[in-house]
Amino acid sequence: MTSHAASIAERWRTLQFHFDTRLHLRLESLIVLFILVIAMSVLSPYFLSVSNILNILLATSTIGILAIGATLILSSNGLDLSVGSVLGFSGVAGAYLVAIVELPWPFAIFGALAAGAFAGSINGFLITRTRIPAFIVTLGMLGIARGFGLILAPNGGAIYGLPPEIVFLGQGRPLGIPAPVIILALAAVCAHYLLAYSRFGRHTLAMGDSEAAARATGINVERQRWILYTLSGLTAGLAGLVFMARVNAGDPTAGLNYELTAITAAIIGGTSLFGGKGSILGTMVGALIMGVLQNGLNLLAVPSFWQQVAIGMVLILAVYIDQLQTSKEKKA
Amino acid sequence: MKLMKSLLVASSLLALSATAQAADKPLYGVLMKTLANPFWGAMEQGVKAGADAAGVEYYLQAVESDQAAEPQLNTCNTMLERKPAVMITAAINSNILLPCLKRANEMNIPVVDLDNNLDPEVTKAAGVNIAFHIGSDNMAAGAQGAEFLVSKIGKDAKGPVLVIEGLSGNITGKKRADGFANKLKELAPGLEVVASLPGDWDRGKAANITNDILTKHPDLVAIFAANDGMALGAVETVFAADKGAQVTIIGVDGNSDAVKSIKEGRLTASVAQLPYLVGKQAVESVKKVVEGGKVDSPVFVPTLVLTKDVIEGGKEPMMEFVK
Amino acid sequence: MSLLVVKGVTKRFGAVQVLNGVDLTVESGTVTGLVGDNGAGKSTLMKTITGLYAVDEGRVIFADRDVIGQGPGARRSLGIEMIYQDLALAKQQDVAANIFLGREPLRRPFGFFPPIVDTAKMDIEAQKMIDRLGARIPSINRPVGLFSGGQQQTVAIARALTFNPKLVIMDEPTAALAVREVESVLKLIRQLKAEGIAVILISHRLNDVMEVTDRIVVLRQGRIEADLVTRKTQMKEVVEYIVGAH
Repeated sequence: MTSHAASIAERWRTLQFHFDTRLHLRLESLIVLFILVIAMSVLSPYFLSVSNILNILLATSTIGILAIGATLILSSNGLDLSVGSVLGFSGVAGAYLVAIVELPWPFAIFGALAAGAFAGSINGFLITRTRIPAFIVTLGMLGIARGFGLILAPNGGAIYGLPPEIVFLGQGRPLGIPAPVIILALAAVCAHYLLAYSRFGRHTLAMGDSEAAARATGINVERQRWILYTLSGLTAGLAGLVFMARVNAGDPTAGLNYELTAITAAIIGGTSLFGGKGSILGTMVGALIMGVLQNGLNLLAVPSFWQQVAIGMVLILAVYIDQLQTSKEKKA
Repeated sequence: MKLMKSLLVASSLLALSATAQAADKPLYGVLMKTLANPFWGAMEQGVKAGADAAGVEYYLQAVESDQAAEPQLNTCNTMLERKPAVMITAAINSNILLPCLKRANEMNIPVVDLDNNLDPEVTKAAGVNIAFHIGSDNMAAGAQGAEFLVSKIGKDAKGPVLVIEGLSGNITGKKRADGFANKLKELAPGLEVVASLPGDWDRGKAANITNDILTKHPDLVAIFAANDGMALGAVETVFAADKGAQVTIIGVDGNSDAVKSIKEGRLTASVAQLPYLVGKQAVESVKKVVEGGKVDSPVFVPTLVLTKDVIEGGKEPMMEFVK
Repeated sequence: MSLLVVKGVTKRFGAVQVLNGVDLTVESGTVTGLVGDNGAGKSTLMKTITGLYAVDEGRVIFADRDVIGQGPGARRSLGIEMIYQDLALAKQQDVAANIFLGREPLRRPFGFFPPIVDTAKMDIEAQKMIDRLGARIPSINRPVGLFSGGQQQTVAIARALTFNPKLVIMDEPTAALAVREVESVLKLIRQLKAEGIAVILISHRLNDVMEVTDRIVVLRQGRIEADLVTRKTQMKEVVEYIVGAH
């Protein structure tokens, strides 16, 4: 390597380092997002308008909220396959309380969040108290939550007739910004604070990195894990609330296969599948990468099948780049 | 460096061509459910024919499955970015597109409900204005299915009948199932609908439902499925149980898979919708609305019962519209 | 009053009885070598002292307190530290994060926000400890997984020493080290002893054990086979006890 190239490499590493330690954000993901935005702006004149950007954010909000939970779980070397179903179940639970039991509108919020947290806490309990792997427990909850959602909803259809305050949460635009986007932003800020700056967040990452290290230093791994799965359920409940408000119905079929999309967003954003590395901001970038891709390809009227191909390729590329990075660091 | 230059040239060419498209002819936006079902493929052909006849451009989008509700909403919002002259939508369910259609109203873009997927009561309650609903008369289609069944096995026939509905909450499926059940009761009271279960438009689910009901009622006389996909699932199960001669199976849509199965003597009949006609008439009628006219809603496009005789006879004039 | 008293400790894993009634006493400012063949139960015994394993029977008393119900975190606060054989480091976290794992210093931004980890303070203290150990580490802000074995062990040692321990247990600390690094570990053990800290050294390398310990305890089949004073015994005798030929 010539000295010129070496100094560029050194400066690049320093830039990455600053992004990583100060912002807890993987530089490569941000650059990919940037490139995508520029490419789409060039390819379609409709892309770079305020209303389209808001469209992208709005379209990303449900998955984005789910991906926050996925980031927390993946960082701790866990796995939660139930979040899509819990999203559906929570939406139905919230809608049930206000549309069928006819309680006042705040109960839709309370119901959805409580339902999600409850499902998550059961996941956490089973995972920490028994030796059943998280894959199996959450896979089971995937079926159970979906089933209970269909049971709660009359005839398995959607529950309509939600109060206008709830509809505003999904369709309103306070200050011109879609409400779900504001909810996503608030959730992301709180979660980022938790994961990147608090002791709890540190312990989560440590536990995912080496459970032995966490135990040896006195971290209560079981309690931590239970809390994390409850949080994952809580975010699924929040996503269920946002979805329910967006479509003005408690739909038991909502969130089908969303858990995989949420995990994809987290991994594209730099969270490791095996724990120890994760960032909420990174996940937001990952979710935006997917959202920009889908929106851009929609604007270019590319059939949706190609969108799925594109996202699959971006996922593999993201992990590959990450591996290259790690092996380069090891050699240095 | 060379790579950069060629990338730049390629992208500017693409940008130019994209802008060139948005030039003179009015642009119609068409949003389908999914292109995986040949029914929608035939409808797209009709849309194309209608657009050519009306002298308009169109851009068509779909999502990955007919259950991908939120992606359809997101796609609808994105389509509005191109400010089409018209939005023709086949909504996955009555609720999901309402926020987008409301925006279309605000942008003075007429909205057409393609294939009667929007419940007019729901749209009225939400304050969304639909220019017109167009599609087959699903109630009448279900009734035609009942009429065919009675014509085949007689109005004094007795026995259990299975109805396989569409996606829960979807108005199309409900109308077909209700149309069939009501007409059947009227014409042949001896035939009893022992089960009416949602097959979610899914071939596999319909097969499982058929299996379960056949076990419970081995003397099953007929099956009516709200679409061909599900009917074909039922066909597989019935023939696997060796009851092909005993059970009359009727589907709805008349798509190419169904036609093939009818020719092979497996599926008994299908109440063919004419999606080609639906697509074509949707575009032609909405042009009237754009030009200031009015179209009475709902617009019903006739349906046709397809049987082996009808298909092979080749005399039926409407066969031209079956793709 | 002895610093550490272990009385009648038994530990079973399923059908396997690993510890069969162990009695052990350790005084402050002494270096105790713990030797035994593979599977004798040395690491298991130490983990019952640090709280990673619960005992089935027996008592563990540290500084006159019964620590049986307490977890590893509480026992670290009392002053029991261990450097594990596999180091138990979080490889993707940096040096400072590892040293302070489980007991990160906190601060409140703007005085009233929820507390966050004080990374600046951690970095300063971590650098101080690394310098005190005289180690050469490329940067305290690189993930420790990129370091060499010896450097990683320095981090593990720093983690054990940062909070003024009273008892430091080292499980095979020299097994994977170069000659110079071994010497620095032995020097460290002597220094700890001089500061009044008790050290338990588990090692296969009997030369090191003979050189740096005050007494040698032999564990065989889950029981204390012998408790020897180092300068009154020789390696041959120790080996005989290890294999049960005495």
